[in-house]
Amino acid sequence: MKWVANDIDMYLGAKEYVDTIVLPLFPISFGDDIKQTTSMTEFISLLSIQLERQFKGRILMLPGYTYIKNNPDNVLIDDIKRWEAEFQNQSFNHVFYLTSDSDWRTREESFEGSLIWLPSLPLESMDEKYRNSILEDQVQQLIHLFVKKWQNND
Amino acid sequence: MSKQRVTRRQFLNYTLTGVGGFMAAGMLMPMVRFAVDPVLQHNAAGDYVVTDKKISEITAEPVRVDFTFEQKDAWYTSEVTNTAWVYKDENGEVIALSPICKHLGCTVDWNKDKANPEHFYCPCHGGLYTKDGTNVPGTPPAAPLDVYPFKEVDGYLALGKAEPRKEA
Ligand code: FES
Repeated sequence: MKWVANDIDMYLGAKEYVDTIVLPLFPISFGDDIKQTTSMTEFISLLSIQLERQFKGRILMLPGYTYIKNNPDNVLIDDIKRWEAEFQNQSFNHVFYLTSDSDWRTREESFEGSLIWLPSLPLESMDEKYRNSILEDQVQQLIHLFVKKWQNND
Repeated sequence: MSKQRVTRRQFLNYTLTGVGGFMAAGMLMPMVRFAVDPVLQHNAAGDYVVTDKKISEITAEPVRVDFTFEQKDAWYTSEVTNTAWVYKDENGEVIALSPICKHLGCTVDWNKDKANPEHFYCPCHGGLYTKDGTNVPGTPPAAPLDVYPFKEVDGYLALGKAEPRKEA
């Protein structure tokens, strides 16, 4: 389910079935890495749309957390911790963060949820057919990952 | 003989009503149009979309067919990709099922779950459907999978808008 009125109504009526929350992490920078942060953000937002469609009934897909990429680690970690505290008040068994920004990999130990890191692909330089099949591949991998996590915990 | 004279007050009344009426019409018309238009408009998504699947290539084994069309959501037009599970039944009739689980809307997969071969399986809460889309009792879904109406266009499969299956 997405963070839109219709879906949230559905969520409120079926909370016991929605045990997973996903927060995409979107980096922003105006420095030398402006292009990289753009493609990371674009890539993850495309993937999250597909992922949500696949698992609509079980995951709540948040609009995403947008942050300034060169903020110090402790600031970013604190923010994520605050998100986590919020999620813990709800009954989510699984918390996932979805990102292309590899900096998160070193921060992962500091929080509880699982980080899913996928290197972003230069989608803008691909023609549409190819692009879709690449995305499809990535989505399949993600699906696999989610199903596996669920099976391990059920 | 008395000429019918229009008093100053009457004159103002007439003209103001006239002008006011025009103004009201000017405001209301677009509103009425706005309200009625979607009803009059041709429903773009209601049309059939030709897929790249040849009808002659469809077998008894359900396969995934993706098809893309433009969808208008208010003033925003976007490309939407939909999926159908397509196969031919014992009588050679084409069946095209929607992959959207009738429980809470996850996407079902054919023959993916080892424990339930030859079924449509929903990974979210274990919803199960038989090959013809009938929901298996005891699993969360309360209705069979939606069915796409289809047409043949130059040998290719064209799909309409998925509809709930009529109970037999
Ligand atoms: S959404 Fe398919 S079983 Fe719940």
